[in-house]
Amino acid sequence: MATDADEADPGEGSGPLGATTDVGGGDPLAGEPWYRRYLWDHRVHAAVVVLFALYPFAYSGLTEAMPATMTTLLPGITVMVGVLYFGLFAMSFDFVSGYTGYLDFGHAAFYGIGAYFVILVANDKVPLLDPSTPFMFSLVIAGLLAALVALVIGAVSFRLTGVYFAMITLGFAQVIYVLMSNWDYLGDNPRSGIAVNTSMHPEGFEVGVPFVDALNMQIASANFVGETLSTELAGHVIALSAPEVSYFMIGLVVGFCYFAMQRVIHSPFGKVMIAIRENEERAEAIGYDTFKYKMGAFAISAFFAAVGGALFAGYRRSVDPDNSLFFLVAGDALLAAIIGGFGTLAGALFGFLFFEFLGELLANNFVSRGGESVPDGLLPYLRDVLGEGTLSTTLFGDVTVRTVLDVLFNGRAELYIGVLFVLFVLYVPNGILGTLRLWLGGTVAKKLPERIGSRLRGGQADPGPPDD
Amino acid sequence: MTGANYAAGHAMQAAPLASAVEILLDFLDPGTIIQVLINGLAKSSVFVMIAVGLTLVFGLMGVLNFAHGSLTMIGAYLGGALVLFAVSPSMGDFTRLGAFFVVVVAVLALLTALGAALEISLIRPLYDRPPLYQILLTFGLTLVFDEIVRIVLEIYDIQPTTKWQAPLNTRPSFMGQESQRTLDWLFGVRVDGMQVFEIVFGFVVVVGIWLFLTRTRYGLYIRAGSEDTEMTEALGIDVGQAFTVVFGLGVGLAGVAGALLMWDPIRGGASVPLGADVLLPAFVVVIVGGLGTYRGTVVAALIVGMTDATMTWLFDNHVEFAGLPELVVFLILVIVLIVKPQGLFGVKEVGGH
Repeated sequence: MATDADEADPGEGSGPLGATTDVGGGDPLAGEPWYRRYLWDHRVHAAVVVLFALYPFAYSGLTEAMPATMTTLLPGITVMVGVLYFGLFAMSFDFVSGYTGYLDFGHAAFYGIGAYFVILVANDKVPLLDPSTPFMFSLVIAGLLAALVALVIGAVSFRLTGVYFAMITLGFAQVIYVLMSNWDYLGDNPRSGIAVNTSMHPEGFEVGVPFVDALNMQIASANFVGETLSTELAGHVIALSAPEVSYFMIGLVVGFCYFAMQRVIHSPFGKVMIAIRENEERAEAIGYDTFKYKMGAFAISAFFAAVGGALFAGYRRSVDPDNSLFFLVAGDALLAAIIGGFGTLAGALFGFLFFEFLGELLANNFVSRGGESVPDGLLPYLRDVLGEGTLSTTLFGDVTVRTVLDVLFNGRAELYIGVLFVLFVLYVPNGILGTLRLWLGGTVAKKLPERIGSRLRGGQADPGPPDD
Repeated sequence: MTGANYAAGHAMQAAPLASAVEILLDFLDPGTIIQVLINGLAKSSVFVMIAVGLTLVFGLMGVLNFAHGSLTMIGAYLGGALVLFAVSPSMGDFTRLGAFFVVVVAVLALLTALGAALEISLIRPLYDRPPLYQILLTFGLTLVFDEIVRIVLEIYDIQPTTKWQAPLNTRPSFMGQESQRTLDWLFGVRVDGMQVFEIVFGFVVVVGIWLFLTRTRYGLYIRAGSEDTEMTEALGIDVGQAFTVVFGLGVGLAGVAGALLMWDPIRGGASVPLGADVLLPAFVVVIVGGLGTYRGTVVAALIVGMTDATMTWLFDNHVEFAGLPELVVFLILVIVLIVKPQGLFGVKEVGGH
């Protein structure tokens, strides 16, 4: 990274871009413009982004080729949209809790603030903001509002540590939860949530650059509300359903937010956050005003949590207290962050992806594909594959294969996730990405290309110059 | 809501001060005060029951048991199943009560065993890790427990999300809904048998645990271990064993609370969501009292219970905000943590990083 190199050799006498002799063993992009260096540094990130971008096409291709197997195995696009916005929320949770070590059990409050705010703006319930305010504006304002709330909560909460911090944030979040689920200004029945007024907003919310029509697409979970797309590219017709369009648009926002948070983590500010986690007294002794850094991290994290919530509500077009503000929503983010790797940022999203993959695998649904009913989930899939003969085979007593399968797989995702989570806490405390990092000896983005590079060159340690 | 109350609610908006005085005068009516006091005591008993196990475990071991709510829920179902097994319809009231106490002892024993097993197998490997991991582990356990209970309920065809009605029929006749009496000699206060039972039960448990902690040798070990684990160990006391016993006891007490709530459809009732419903007030009580202090927990349960009862009265008569009691309970938590971060009776070192 450019900043790292600058800090590493301040005495070389060469300009920021002219660091020809590098400590890391040959900087391949010395003298290149910053954006090329940024791209080169982020080639693993770029690969992941490309994989995510290709997923809808791979999904539709694979499910067409092998409907039953692939529908069962792969999470559908609507689920993947959820992975994106909730993944953003989980990453924002990891941003504050994984990096500063302060467990924010009330993080759901910020997610809920984002979700409620965009819908209230759309329903003309927020003073000063017109219901026609572009979604992107209300999304950013929601984030700023959440950051402001975070500063208020943080001002009193950061005097506490450990369990007490977790509990006071939980207390604040529950106060907001109770308020929002009983305040009848919000809607007719606040306890069961609020929905977008469809007569005011018959179409989906637009994500993109506000006021530039060509750079906007609508997000919605249903085709009749959202936008579908059909273009011809090199002789192939590419048709995208509304959830697929939403997947890309929400993915853009989530990707942008990820890189913003990642940038903060790798900045000097982020280093102080880590220092606070490792040893707050020492960080203070060095001269950092840790309180300010904690407040900053909390506000940034709240901002992105609210953006995640806003995307969630914008996509679903409704929100209720239990799926946004309740403390167990933050619990889900915690599970995702731990499984993915606490303090790895991207790990939280992968952790949640892993969850949803498990949940989808263990679902018990049938979906219609091409006019045919196709099993979506392991139980219907196994029933389909094994056939009646095997299913009614008696194992012992009056226990048949069917009963065993029912007991094992019928809607048991939570059980397996719980067991898996306990096992992770006991045996893989660093999570998926964290363990990978330990194994590689550095962040995946940095070390993986080196590893692959050295393998390709037959054990040579340093990465050679790029091919161009 | 009656017309007069509705009008009072509107008057409040018109002239806040005058109506505040009006509400206060209404509240100071002896009938109202005694009613709120009795309701508050019953609530406090429930609060102390669900919180006491949590505080014992935290006091000695510094482990915040997130599975406490789920274990209360398991206690409720287990108690319900056992009481259905033990009580036959032809039994008299006092035989039923006796059967209930047998069931309570059985639930205590079974869940204490479960708790001890959990401590040995899962919690023990985590003592040398940051406290975060104990929270995480017990949080994961709630998922597993809730799902296992759901599986069992599915087998027996019981709805997991609605309150389990069957065990309610095993209550003695002086505890049911129809047992409510209006006491004319006490300003027309309304009391039902369940409330009286809860108050007595809570009192007995509080005194019992207090005697255990202060009058027995093992209680002495536990108090010593809470003060200074290393010193206690140096004096030749097996603190590891005390950890197992206390964690088991904490879980057992959660189960007893569940068994009590199983008979009370208003404040509890066996259902899977009971776990989360119970966990939050238990946290509030334990934190407000000061994590790990027994006296603090009892006092905090009284404060929270009385406040809850007062706010419920306020909602019933003057304020049209259904979430008021719940809201104020969490506000108590927040305010206590701001004003006195260690809780009312807490010691500074416990529970920090």
